[in-house]
Amino acid sequence: MTSVPAPVEPATRPGRPAPGRPGPRRRGLHGRGLIPLLLGPSVLLIVVFVVAPAVYGLYLSLTNTQLTGFAARDPQFVGLENFRTLLGSDDFLASLGRTGQFVLFSAIIGQTVLGMLAALLLRRTWLRGKGVFGAAILLPMVVPEVVAALTWASVLSSSEDGTFNRLIGLFGGAAAAPLQEWPMLSIVIVNIWRGIAFAMIMFQAALEDVPDELIEASRVDGASATQVFRYVTLPLIRGPIFLYLLLTTITTVGVFGLVYFLTQGGPGSATELTSIFIFQRAFQYSQIGLGSAASVILLALLMVLGLTYVRLTKVEV
Amino acid sequence: MKRSRVLLAVATAALLTGVLAACSDGDDTAGGDDGPVTIRLLEYQQARADAVEPHLAAFEQAMAEQGRDIEVELIVDPLTDEQFRTKITQQFHSGTAPDVIDMGSTHVTGFAGAGYLLELDEYLDEWDTWGEYFDPVKDAARQVDGHFYAVPHEANVQSLFYRKDVLEQLGVDTSQPQTWDDLIARLEQVTAQTGEPSIVIPAGTAWGGGTWTEGFLPIAAGTGSTFYDEETGRWTLESEGLTASFDLYARLVEAGLMPVQDLLNPNPWEPTKYVRFPEGTMPVAAQGTWGWRYDWGPEGTAPIEDVQQKVGTWDYPALVPGTEPYSISGGGFVYAINAETEHAEAAMELAKWLSEGTAAAEQLAAIGAAAPHPGIADIEPYASDPSLLDAEEKVRTGIRAPFGDGADQVSQAVQSATEAILLGDADGEQAASAFAEEAAELLGDALVEQ
Repeated sequence: MTSVPAPVEPATRPGRPAPGRPGPRRRGLHGRGLIPLLLGPSVLLIVVFVVAPAVYGLYLSLTNTQLTGFAARDPQFVGLENFRTLLGSDDFLASLGRTGQFVLFSAIIGQTVLGMLAALLLRRTWLRGKGVFGAAILLPMVVPEVVAALTWASVLSSSEDGTFNRLIGLFGGAAAAPLQEWPMLSIVIVNIWRGIAFAMIMFQAALEDVPDELIEASRVDGASATQVFRYVTLPLIRGPIFLYLLLTTITTVGVFGLVYFLTQGGPGSATELTSIFIFQRAFQYSQIGLGSAASVILLALLMVLGLTYVRLTKVEV
Repeated sequence: MKRSRVLLAVATAALLTGVLAACSDGDDTAGGDDGPVTIRLLEYQQARADAVEPHLAAFEQAMAEQGRDIEVELIVDPLTDEQFRTKITQQFHSGTAPDVIDMGSTHVTGFAGAGYLLELDEYLDEWDTWGEYFDPVKDAARQVDGHFYAVPHEANVQSLFYRKDVLEQLGVDTSQPQTWDDLIARLEQVTAQTGEPSIVIPAGTAWGGGTWTEGFLPIAAGTGSTFYDEETGRWTLESEGLTASFDLYARLVEAGLMPVQDLLNPNPWEPTKYVRFPEGTMPVAAQGTWGWRYDWGPEGTAPIEDVQQKVGTWDYPALVPGTEPYSISGGGFVYAINAETEHAEAAMELAKWLSEGTAAAEQLAAIGAAAPHPGIADIEPYASDPSLLDAEEKVRTGIRAPFGDGADQVSQAVQSATEAILLGDADGEQAASAFAEEAAELLGDALVEQ
């Protein structure tokens, strides 16, 4: 196995105080309490809108709270019963499996690989029409989630008027029903389409930081384009790549609207991701306690995954 | 240092005030009991909003003549049934629901049970018209705790609607089928000639609650098996009738008589009830009374020209030996009052006003529903609609769909089990077994007959 050299960081940067030696200005700000004043609103918002709901969700997960029915009047503390139920539920475990597949194929493989290819292409000096190409890639990110989902629902419609069926009709193919016949593949493709722009932006920014001198030196030494990318570029942008993987994993696990408006988790439960399982349990079946427990399990899994990424790459987050 | 802390406190307080202001409803129109009273009425179907709006000014005028200053604010929020249920549940839970909500009666049990709706027994006892309501409508409105939480303003009869013109053209018998075997034989005749599915009965998860109220429940209710025991408040999840009902779905799917692909798509009612039935390529549909107007009437979503001549209705055929064809009532809309309203009396006055007289007659004719009491039969335009008057007659004589606490959970299990049939993952018996297992898990021991 080839060892990967760590990216070189300058000891200090011009205009920046050395570590451990706070400048007089920093001390002054701290002394006047400006930092707490500036951070206060953010901290307050995080506490009110993130921490408090999470704590309340944790509390709900330990109860049998329902939103409708006579049982809703008198919720009981049930300890870990909801967690026992979920971890013994084939439906929940299957939804976790589907979520894993969705993240792996759409985010980790699809968005990352295609985003990287797009970013590399945009660095090519010979490429014409970069603006158009970049805009085309960015467009899916700009479109609101519901609009994107409904647009794809129209494209993949099983009717003969659907865009996909019209296209295959041009080649003599029979009408298909992609959302019924290949539901997971369909939502993977749609999510790749939607997420590729963010990957491209992240990787473009990372590639900008790769010194041209290193690339040129490798080429002078006879490295092929693939070798330059594999042994020079990739190690230098490893941090941003793993940071992207962390972010895209978290956001993809939370994808709801895009899939819900396309398939509602169906057919059957073929695209019932954990986010949809939670929505159904909490709001359609009104079992908010059980839904909260599923959310807590998902949060715990994401934290483990996130910490693993951070540990593996020593990314600063 | 002190100054900075003061600054910090002021900034925090300002932010908190802003946050709280943003979170608040921002609408104090409910006001106190002094001065004018504003009642917020929610309609989540555009056609119902259009039907009710012209009567609100007359209501305000009538109240003014009684010396009561009541204004009605109509909130129109077009949603599907599932979207409505999800949204209003959150509004009830957060205390932001409107005063009066026009909703399907199937939602009432869950909301009443949770304490979101005002108990109306005293108000109804003092209302003369309530004494005239048809007994099946009253029975259906009474909740498992014996109390009433909504004012029914319409009644619905679930039937099998069929295209007379199409069946006659295909040479298929249009008389009342006595058994499902009889009907299936006719449907096979149709499909053999057209190559298309010939009947739609709501099924699967995409149809949401309709799979339960318009699809499965009317079939299961006619089998004679006990599904819900009102005395014990428990559901019986395994019975001959339930298995026969799931088996019927499986037979229809296996024979290619149901539009499986359409039922698996989101909004499955669009290609079936709004396209195939109106164009005549799928000539039979399980449907409530509202089909006459709301779906296929001249102002409906998918109008059928001369609908009264081209469309007829059958009662549900007998499914198990020893039963007869039957019509089934239930599922009409009701006015429910938010338990937290500050103006309960005014809200009740509005619900009563809209449920009788010309206001009711015009709404019933616009939506396509039967009257829940006999006092409307002579009022135009309802009086001139034979299909609605016929439905009203069936309301008195039809069987009643069972409903009780936990119906939402049973509905979900039915949706999953019928979806498995549509996907070819289960036959009738397997679907019945999967239903029993899922429903038991969702309901919990307290609501299941052991």
